[in-house]
Amino acid sequence: MTLTSPSTSSDGVPSSEGAAEAVPGQRFASPFAVQTPTGAEGWQSMYPYYALLSDERRESEDGKFWFFDGMHNPEPLYPFDTIMTENWWVAASQMSTRVWPVPPAGGIDHRIINGYLYISPNAVTDPDEVARRAQDFAVRAGHYYENWDEIYEQWVAKATDCIERLKAIRFAPLPEMEPESSVFEHRGVYSTYDLLTSYGELIHNLFEMGSYHFEMLNLGYGAYLTFREFCQAAFPGISDQTIASMVSGIDILLFRPDDEVRSLAKLAVELELTDLVLGNEDPAAALKAIGDHANGAQWLAAFEEAKDPWFWFSTGAGYTHSDRAWIDDLRLPFTALRGYVQGLLAGEDIRRPLEEILAERVRVTEEYRTYLPTDADRESFDGLVELARQVFPFVENHNFYVEHWHHSLFWSKVRELGDVFVAHGFLDDREDLFYLHRNEIYSALYDLNIGWATGTEARGVTYWRPEIERRRRIREVLKANPPLPALGAPPEFITEPLTVMLWGITQESVQEWLGVDGQEGGELRGVAASAGKATGRARVIIDPEQLHEVEDGDILVCRITAPSWAPVFSRLSAAVSDVGGIMAHTAIVCREYGLPAVVGTGFATTSIRTGQLIEVDGNTGVVRVLEDVSA
Amino acid sequence: MTESTASPFVLWIDDPAAVGSRLLGGKFGSLAEMTAGGFAVPGGFGITTTAYRYFLEAAGLAERAREVRARAVGADLAEVQAISAEFTAAIEAAPLPGDLEAAIRAAHAELERRTGQQGLPVAVRSSGESEDLAGASFAGQYDTFLWIRGAEEVLRYVRSCWAGMFGAAVLTYRPDSDPAAAAADHGICVGIQQMVEARSAGVMFTLDPVTGDRSKVVIEGCWGLGEGVVSGGVTPSRYVVDKVTFEVLKRDVAHQESMYSFDPAVAAVGLVPVATERCDAPCLQDGQIRALAELAKKIERHRGAPQDIEWAVSEAGDVHVLQVRPETVWSHRQAEQLVTERKSAVSHVLARFAGVGVASGGGRPS
Repeated sequence: MTLTSPSTSSDGVPSSEGAAEAVPGQRFASPFAVQTPTGAEGWQSMYPYYALLSDERRESEDGKFWFFDGMHNPEPLYPFDTIMTENWWVAASQMSTRVWPVPPAGGIDHRIINGYLYISPNAVTDPDEVARRAQDFAVRAGHYYENWDEIYEQWVAKATDCIERLKAIRFAPLPEMEPESSVFEHRGVYSTYDLLTSYGELIHNLFEMGSYHFEMLNLGYGAYLTFREFCQAAFPGISDQTIASMVSGIDILLFRPDDEVRSLAKLAVELELTDLVLGNEDPAAALKAIGDHANGAQWLAAFEEAKDPWFWFSTGAGYTHSDRAWIDDLRLPFTALRGYVQGLLAGEDIRRPLEEILAERVRVTEEYRTYLPTDADRESFDGLVELARQVFPFVENHNFYVEHWHHSLFWSKVRELGDVFVAHGFLDDREDLFYLHRNEIYSALYDLNIGWATGTEARGVTYWRPEIERRRRIREVLKANPPLPALGAPPEFITEPLTVMLWGITQESVQEWLGVDGQEGGELRGVAASAGKATGRARVIIDPEQLHEVEDGDILVCRITAPSWAPVFSRLSAAVSDVGGIMAHTAIVCREYGLPAVVGTGFATTSIRTGQLIEVDGNTGVVRVLEDVSA
Repeated sequence: MTESTASPFVLWIDDPAAVGSRLLGGKFGSLAEMTAGGFAVPGGFGITTTAYRYFLEAAGLAERAREVRARAVGADLAEVQAISAEFTAAIEAAPLPGDLEAAIRAAHAELERRTGQQGLPVAVRSSGESEDLAGASFAGQYDTFLWIRGAEEVLRYVRSCWAGMFGAAVLTYRPDSDPAAAAADHGICVGIQQMVEARSAGVMFTLDPVTGDRSKVVIEGCWGLGEGVVSGGVTPSRYVVDKVTFEVLKRDVAHQESMYSFDPAVAAVGLVPVATERCDAPCLQDGQIRALAELAKKIERHRGAPQDIEWAVSEAGDVHVLQVRPETVWSHRQAEQLVTERKSAVSHVLARFAGVGVASGGGRPS
């Protein structure tokens, strides 16, 4: 691949002349009308050529509907982090085009505009082609549905194996001299080869897991979507959370990290370590104090046991390296730990009421069933709820395997590689490696090998620092310029299941964004994701770092919530997000915590300010600003 | 009071003997059943169909009543009106047997004693034997008099209810399913019931009356007495509640400027202005919506079929059941199948991917 070189960055950048502006109620601004903010000129050089708008593809790019994928990438992409978006650009799209052609839906296209990721679902509209695709689809997808449990079991084995191989990848600076073993065992290849190979393995490992990610996902969502539509036809107005509650599992992996913390809290009480847990806000200090205690060793052993894999739990969607996991920053699990210890000391039962949740699921499902008009309907309902429950463990659990466990581990391996570049004088900080695209890193590694092999200074030692500084400045400017939620021509139909299920993008939300009946009088509309109504002070969180500022009773306002934020949920009275549908990674856990939530509002983080008194209606999906920040 | 006879003039709705008794007519019979079921029905008694027939016999009007009904069949409207006016006047003028009058006065005094309120406002309502005949809903044909105080007034409106049996509308009522129903010699009970000084009131259905969806409770309510909702004179606020989870799925809060309430200026129930701060405010709080929906669900289970329910919420916030009756539209309709085709779940899902929806929607507009 070629990256536009920095010196010619303004060349080949399409002109915004003549690009259509937004017309309220009719269309969004053309993607070509988006201006580069002053100081961010040349941003295109950070990203691969195929992810950029171009004059040559202008006609097609201009005619499409693009929406901002703030769910996975709330901030301007770091060049390295495009690996995640590039992965699913292929991995998700190929499922619905080449593996089992979803009759009316094509792939999902990507473009990076001002550093932000925009995506555009393709539709298949020709009835003949839809019919042809339906035949292949029925045979291939049918095979997966008919053998779902067995395939899911195989999936877990593949995913676990992939993670084990990722764990085994090691990066270390090149040695002063090759070890003797290289000589006496006659390997014939040396550290330079191993370094390149390990890097190749790292990248391919990500693409391997990235492919597994989508192996069953679309079908899982499709089965759920069908059940949902049946319920909506039978019980007009039934809420999404009610439908989900009939299907979602109670022992899903996303609850495990929190359950582990509950167990550790219980153990701390049993071992009389509560003073040490409560008395040390800093996790390192707490661990040290526990280690010095006579009973400490037993607790620390349990802690280490719980950490791997359950603390590989991302504080974000897992799609960017800045989404740190619990294992990188123990403050979140320790906040939760203190809460549970306090609860136990106050005599509370901190266990999740699994039996009650399960009994309620049975009651709700059976009762709706009795309200159906005919036996044929009850038969279909039984079949659909059973199928939805069968596919749901994958839908819910893939998230832990892929986004949390694998991705968090992946980012930690990239940091290990960053240390290699620091050791060889290319970088000052391991984190700077994320300013390089993955293919640039391959070149930089070769450069490093040359320097090591020849004994002359590698070019990268003086090349990358100023380039990284330039990119850092550009990214800061882009970050200060929030993206528009949508660009281009609004779609007539939205047929792609992921678009509806994950991003919550529907005909209605598109109309809202167009400003037909949105946002008048300090009111935002979104998807009602979790029932209930609450009033409180807004706490706008852009960076997970800010989570520590949350105060009791606050209403969280964010781009997207993450399940690993769980420890702060107990302090919140409600949550609002810019993006996300009912099946967004966190909606499930939000409902579990019983927090009123409105997701997919489009503009919450840009229109609501910290301190404003707001009302969140999780029944109707409306957020109102009641009172501005007091002076 | 003829306590010794098998058929009393007065039957309290909390009397175990009232449950299932035809002496209370349809409306009051249902309320007796509700009271026995532990539901919050305002206290009261029925002046039984026996009392009504005893009055007609004693006044020598029983035979004429049969003639009037028979003559009304086939007569033109002007003629029916003339017959009606003549006979109604006869009922108004006829003497009330002393033992019957004494029984009513005693029961009324007992109601005042039970509620601890002299001059207790009561509702006086007709409760016809024929009301709940399948397919022959006399709903709305009979009279209701509100905010009646003192025994004299009660006696006067009891007589009005009896006379109301021979109103032109009742005499000409010809349900298609049973043309003979109106001409039959149906009796009437007159219910005397404590008024609920309603903060808000209305009706609710244990299914969605528009779609027939049985997973909903639909509540219509307004400020003040529910007469406005029942008669259609006040546009009610509307709440759609999920019967399984009790989530409020939809709220349409109506603007309301006047309400039915006791108007001291004319000492009667009439339209009075709604307090300014209430005009655009919801007439039910969330807790009351839930309490009503739970009540509706319990009543439906208790009665074993979908119901229409009249309710009132007092200023103190208590929820009362004023009337229950079986839902008649969807309950008598052949259920329409929802799924387009009987097929396996996987086939449904595959078809959905191909753009074919699982449900037709049928007769259930969503």
